Amino acid sequence: MTHPLSPLAAALGRHSVRYVMIGISAANLYGPDGQAIFATEDIDLFLPLDADNLVAAWASCDETALELWSNNEPLDRPRDRFLAERVIERRALTRARGANQLIVDFTLVMKGFDFETVWNERREFLMDDVPVLAARLLHIVESKQATGREKDQLFLATHLDALQQLLKKSDLR
Amino acid sequence: MTDERLERVLRGLEKARQFAESYRFEISDEYRALIAQVEALPRNQSGADKSGRWLGSLAEHKSWYRNVRLVPRKR
Repeated sequence: MTHPLSPLAAALGRHSVRYVMIGISAANLYGPDGQAIFATEDIDLFLPLDADNLVAAWASCDETALELWSNNEPLDRPRDRFLAERVIERRALTRARGANQLIVDFTLVMKGFDFETVWNERREFLMDDVPVLAARLLHIVESKQATGREKDQLFLATHLDALQQLLKKSDLR
Repeated sequence: MTDERLERVLRGLEKARQFAESYRFEISDEYRALIAQVEALPRNQSGADKSGRWLGSLAEHKSWYRNVRLVPRKR
């Protein structure tokens, strides 16, 4: 059984797309096997302000039958460099939707961080033998704090408690 | 509910609202130390296999539940 994200991650790899998974889904990667610590609606991928890279990310979605949306509308075509530059100007989010309610957000903003800082300290994990690039847990947490939204504050408070519980478990020592 | 009791409840709610608005979570040294411990675990190094890891998304739940097959218990 393959992970719903694996086909997209494989396509992103084939297109040499630079991205790092951030947000709650990435924080969950650091937890124990077979468990999610926190539920989330979407998987967030942080991309640099690079039009060619964004076009390649969109092409990866096309290859894996994911529909692309922006601002609650299907993303315009052609999905070329010109469109990517306009999206980057606005720091707009592109949302990919797939089967089984897979939702992947391509974000150009990670509060408190520039892309290169996060990229340089990324972790490269494997899912179904496919590389999945994730931000450091510290960067994820610091970004959540910088955002300062109520839901992020709640996440941080409960995440601290969850880490304490996890580290008590013998399998994590 | 009496007026007095309602007043008390409303005052409590107002206090909770004020607290929620002013609350700001700070990353303590203890939290940073825990994060460092988790990041240092062998299973969290680059190259680690995360195939069995849930990211917490609805898509995963749907995908996995679709693959669950109920088998009658043998007696």
